[in-house]
Amino acid sequence: MRDSDPRSSKREGGRPPDNTFPIPAVHLQNAASVQKFQGVTFLWMIIAGLLFLAFSLDGYFLRMFQSRFFPTMRPEWFYAVLTLHGVGMVGLWFVAGMAAVSYLLANYIRPPQRVSWLALGGTLVGFTLLIVATTKGLFGTGWYFLYPLPLYSQGTWPSWATGCFFAALVAFCGAWLIWSVAMIAAILKRYPLRYALGWHYLSSRAAEQDPEVPPIVLITIVALIPAVAGFLDAFALFLLYLMQWQVKGFVANALLMKNLTFFFGHMTVHATMYLGVAVVYELLPTFNGRSWKMSKRIVLAWNVVLAMVLCAYFHHLYMDFVQPRMLQIMGQMMSYFSAVPAAAVSIFDGLWLVYGSRMRWTIASTFMFLGLMGWAVGGVGAVIDSTISINSVFHNTLWVPAHFHTYYLMGVVIMLLGFASHLGLEASGLEESRLVRRLVVTLFVIGGYGFVLMFFWSGAHSIPRRYAVYPHELVWGTYEARVSVGFIGIFILGLLLYLWETGRCYIRIFWTQLRKRQMGWFTS
Amino acid sequence: MQAGAFYLFVAISAIVVGVFVWVALSTRHAREPKPKSVNRLRIWFIGILTGGLVFAFVKMFPRMPYPRREQKPDRVVYAVGMQFSWGLSDHPIRNPDEWQEATYAPPLKISAGSLVEFRVTSFDVNHGFGIYSPSGQLLGQVQAMPGYVNHLLMRFTQQGTYWVFCLEMCGMGHHRMRAEFEVVPRTAKSDRADDVKDEHYLALRQGP
Repeated sequence: MRDSDPRSSKREGGRPPDNTFPIPAVHLQNAASVQKFQGVTFLWMIIAGLLFLAFSLDGYFLRMFQSRFFPTMRPEWFYAVLTLHGVGMVGLWFVAGMAAVSYLLANYIRPPQRVSWLALGGTLVGFTLLIVATTKGLFGTGWYFLYPLPLYSQGTWPSWATGCFFAALVAFCGAWLIWSVAMIAAILKRYPLRYALGWHYLSSRAAEQDPEVPPIVLITIVALIPAVAGFLDAFALFLLYLMQWQVKGFVANALLMKNLTFFFGHMTVHATMYLGVAVVYELLPTFNGRSWKMSKRIVLAWNVVLAMVLCAYFHHLYMDFVQPRMLQIMGQMMSYFSAVPAAAVSIFDGLWLVYGSRMRWTIASTFMFLGLMGWAVGGVGAVIDSTISINSVFHNTLWVPAHFHTYYLMGVVIMLLGFASHLGLEASGLEESRLVRRLVVTLFVIGGYGFVLMFFWSGAHSIPRRYAVYPHELVWGTYEARVSVGFIGIFILGLLLYLWETGRCYIRIFWTQLRKRQMGWFTS
Repeated sequence: MQAGAFYLFVAISAIVVGVFVWVALSTRHAREPKPKSVNRLRIWFIGILTGGLVFAFVKMFPRMPYPRREQKPDRVVYAVGMQFSWGLSDHPIRNPDEWQEATYAPPLKISAGSLVEFRVTSFDVNHGFGIYSPSGQLLGQVQAMPGYVNHLLMRFTQQGTYWVFCLEMCGMGHHRMRAEFEVVPRTAKSDRADDVKDEHYLALRQGP
């Protein structure tokens, strides 16, 4: 893999210097619109970086707890931190994806800037409530608050913590629902639905006035339609909880509640994944000068994904044998075959985009490329787990966090960290340190893949997930957690280096802006 | 099954990683891929991927763990989860008192080779009824859901103590929730099925 150090061209005689492609500028078509978004996007990325570090340390704590590093600590702490880690990470990367996509979409449309600030406010309120509910109230139900566990605390958490947790979820879902709807409306204002979904590319009678639609528009729409459905579903869920909590004699149906819960979670996670991929479609080509334009196959693939993602969530309920059999089979079919458009179009195209190109390798481009790999490897684990007969021995074992950490942490998260790095470099004009870049990538790959591989290994050895302490019959889970702690340490080291490298860009931007303002005051 | 799935995952992932490394290394010497050969490769890739998925779907379909009508159990075991223990009994557990009695009862003895039907439900929150072999391998599982009874059919060939752990997060004592039963050599007296309809067995206590 080459890097962007101009000196490296001397070693590879005849090859053009690496700086043939300057640091790619994302705002080519609509500079004013993009500039408007810079402030809020910088803020989002700084918050994302800091919260990611905090929630990663939470995860570190969880694996240390399972390794019996804190034998005297009460298990309530484990379950409370688990809840904070799960909701925090999913929420954080959804908003980071939305912020990144808003910034990039400003090239083509006018994304709702005020709503973006509103979402920032709502999200921060949500995070504050979540942190209070889990650390002060020890609310510990996992991200999915599976019905009716929040109402059965067994004295572990007080009822105000339950209220605080649900208030956090309402703040999140309310802010994100408004943001998603406003973004869809902004896209539709410029591209009516048939154009936004690219249907005119499928028509043989394409008219001249049909607009060219960038893939980021299509993918954002495909991400946000299920996201909106998921957030609406969440409000129905909250309402049923509220009724059970407040209306005497009302008991919700456990199977319905489970379906509502997993639909919400599945849609949010997949929307985040697709937002990350949308960023890659838009930015990766700028690192080698090739184009990744809309085509018939991209339109077909993402429309198929839109249809499939809405039905694939049934795989979360395979072990609920009372769920109608046809839904279980549909869940497996959709989970299996949604892999085809993702692999054969997005990942395949991404590979050929890079193949044989004069790629400028930076943290950003490397992370986006590796993010596609994480998506593919995690997808393999997910497809295996989505087989009903295999799920009966993998469901709720560590195989599940294994595959979703692979396509989340080593997929969408590093794609978006790549975006944040790119944005910082572009706006500050600073150069990346070659040594730090290599170290960051190496530490992320060794730490990240070592960590998820231990999850896969433990899952294959029947270790249950979400256990504060492993029973003595499954004592090897403790030893495997200890190995995992080592890998997470390596990953955290890489993350700290990344934050240092990217953080100095953001500090430079901050000081430049401050100086400009001061100059403005003096001249005025 | 777990080991096979793990090695399959490692093998496919190794191919994926290998392709990504190959593509990354290809950027050392710039060259333009030929669109025709790329398209041909894509068609092959789609064909192999789709074919592999169809094959896996057809192959694994009959192994689904859901009970079939023609399966007649030799033994019925009633299992009820409550924070934070399992009650297992040969007779229906209809209320928390019977559940408590079942949790203190000596472990059930099941004949090796007999087909056992577990009728699983919960009196409070969702639990996961996961059965582990004496060597600590997860053999099968089903959800224990308030208001529903899930039927899990299992056949145990190996003699020894089997463990039931909770596989759905159910509160602060989730990791402590367990039960056990023993699989013993088959005797002349065969297992008897104590068949009670689900509606008479469903949880009486619902809601907080």
